[in-house]
Amino acid sequence: MAARTVRAPTPVPPRAGIGLRAPHCRDIVASRPDIGWVEVHSENYFVDGGQPHQFLERIRLDYPLSLHGVGLGLGSTAPLDVGHLRKLKRLSERYEPGLVSEHLCWNAAGGRHLNDLLPLPYTEEALAHVCRRIDEAQNIIGRQLLIENVSSYLQFRHSTIPEWEFLAEVSRRSGSAILLDVNNIHVSAVNHGFDPSTYLAAVPAAAVREIHLAGFDDTGACLIDTHGTPVAAEVWSLYREAVARIGPRPTLIEWDTDIPPLDVLLAEASKAAVILAQIDAVAA
Amino acid sequence: MPSLPELQTAFARAMIERAEDAGIAEWIVSGRGLDAQARIAVYRNNVLSNYRAALREVYPVVLALTGQSFFHRAADTYVSRYPSRSGDLNDFGGEFGDFLAEWEPAAQLAYLPDVARLEWAVECVLHAMEIPPLDLSTLAAVLPEELPALRFGLHPAARIIRSPYPILRIWQVNQSDYSGDQSVRLDAGGDALLVVRRNGAVELESLQPGALALLRGLATDHTLAQAHAAALDADPALDLTALLQQHILGGTLVAFRNDRQGVAT
Repeated sequence: MAARTVRAPTPVPPRAGIGLRAPHCRDIVASRPDIGWVEVHSENYFVDGGQPHQFLERIRLDYPLSLHGVGLGLGSTAPLDVGHLRKLKRLSERYEPGLVSEHLCWNAAGGRHLNDLLPLPYTEEALAHVCRRIDEAQNIIGRQLLIENVSSYLQFRHSTIPEWEFLAEVSRRSGSAILLDVNNIHVSAVNHGFDPSTYLAAVPAAAVREIHLAGFDDTGACLIDTHGTPVAAEVWSLYREAVARIGPRPTLIEWDTDIPPLDVLLAEASKAAVILAQIDAVAA
Repeated sequence: MPSLPELQTAFARAMIERAEDAGIAEWIVSGRGLDAQARIAVYRNNVLSNYRAALREVYPVVLALTGQSFFHRAADTYVSRYPSRSGDLNDFGGEFGDFLAEWEPAAQLAYLPDVARLEWAVECVLHAMEIPPLDLSTLAAVLPEELPALRFGLHPAARIIRSPYPILRIWQVNQSDYSGDQSVRLDAGGDALLVVRRNGAVELESLQPGALALLRGLATDHTLAQAHAAALDADPALDLTALLQQHILGGTLVAFRNDRQGVAT
C-alpha cells in the first residue's frame, strides 16, 4: 500500500471550488490557483494505485476536498452494492474529505447497471425506499451523505409528490444533507414546465451544504445536462436567487465533457466567488 | 401503475435491449414538445453515449483501427451482450476483446481482439496497486541450496499478453504521439509482451521465449527451479541470473517466498 498521509479532515468552505479533472492536475499542482476547494468523482479513485492517487494525494495537501459519487444508485431496488460502499468508505478514510455526496436517482435493475442518473417516480413507495437505502449507506460509510437533485427529461404519471418536496422529505427523514444543483433545477424546470423559484422556496436552507453549477446543451426540444459548456445566464441568475435565499454555500463548477483549459474553468469559479462575496457583504 | 421494481426492470430493458419502449411509455408524461417515446429516447441516448465514451477512453487503438461509426456499433452490441455489472463505469469493458472475437462484423480484423486485450491490460496496469521494489539484500541472504525452491510474485501492475499478430507494432503506430511509417506487416509474426508500469507510465516490452517461459512459470506460482527448467526448454542458452536481475530491478518481480521460511519481500 502507498504510505498514508496523515491529516485532519478539512471542512469545505463556503467558497467557489472546481471539479478536479485529469487534464488539469499537473497545472493545479504547479500553479496552486486561488480556489476554495476541489471535488472529485469518487469512483475515479476506487482503483488501487497509479497517477490519479498520486495527484490527489498531492492536491489534497493544498485544498479541502469533496467526494462526489455517481454510481451508488441509492434509488435502485436492486440490492445495495455493499462492495461499492466499502470502497467509498476506504476512500473517505484515506482522504478525509469535508463532504461526501451522491445523487437522488437509480441506476440498476435485473442484474445490470445503466451507469446513468435515472429519475425516480416521486411516490411514497420510492420515498420510503430511497430513505431506507440512504440510511443503510450512511451507516456503512459512517458519515452523513449529501444528496443531489438530478436533471430529468421525463416525469412519471404516477408521481404524487413534487420533486422539491420529495428532496426536502428525503433529507428530513434520512438525516442526509442536500447538494443543490442549480443547473439541474433550471434544466428540469424548462423540460417539465415548473417555476424554479417554487423549487428554491421549498428547499430547507439549513440542510443545503453545497451547490453545483454547470452548463447544459439545448437540443431545441429539451435541455440536456452535459457539463460541457459555460454556466448559462439564466442559471447564474437562479444561483443569485438561491444564495440570497439559502446563504453562501460551497459552490462547485462542474465541467466534465469538452473540458476547457484550466483558466476557463477558474474564470467560471471566480464568477461564483464574486456572487458569494456580494452575499457576504449584504449579510455583514 | 407499476411498482418501483417493475418500473426499474422495464426501464432497464427499454434502455439496453431497445425493446421499443418495453411498455414504459404509458407511465410517462408526454407534452412540452416531446412525447413519451422521445423522452425515453433521450435517456437511451445518454446511457449508450456513456458506454461508448467509456470504451473510447480505454480502447483508443481499436477506435483508430476501426473508425468511430464501426466502433460505436460494436460498443452498442457489446453492451447488450455483456451488460455493465458495476455502478463504477471504470469497471466496464473488460470483455471487449472477447466480444470482438465472436462478433461477426469484426471477423475480418483477426488481430483486433488481441489489440483490445492489450489495451485492457494497459488500463489495468495503469491503476494497479503500488508495491515497493524487492529488497535485493533479503534475496542475497537466501542460502544457495534454497534458491531453487523459491517462488516469486509478479507486480500486480505487470501483465503478460501473447498474440499470433504483431500487436506491439500495431499499438505503437496507432499512438496519438506517433509520427512515422504507419504500415504494419500482419505476417511479421506474433508478440509476447510484458505490460508493466514504471514511474507511473505503462511500458510494453517484448519477451524472448526464455524470458516468457520463466515469467509465466513464476506468475503461476511455480518454483524457480520449475520455471527455470521450462525457460531452458524454450532457450537452452538462457542466462537465469541476468534475467532475474533485469526483472527485479525493472520492478516486474516484487516478492519472493521460501516455503520453508515464510514470506519475504
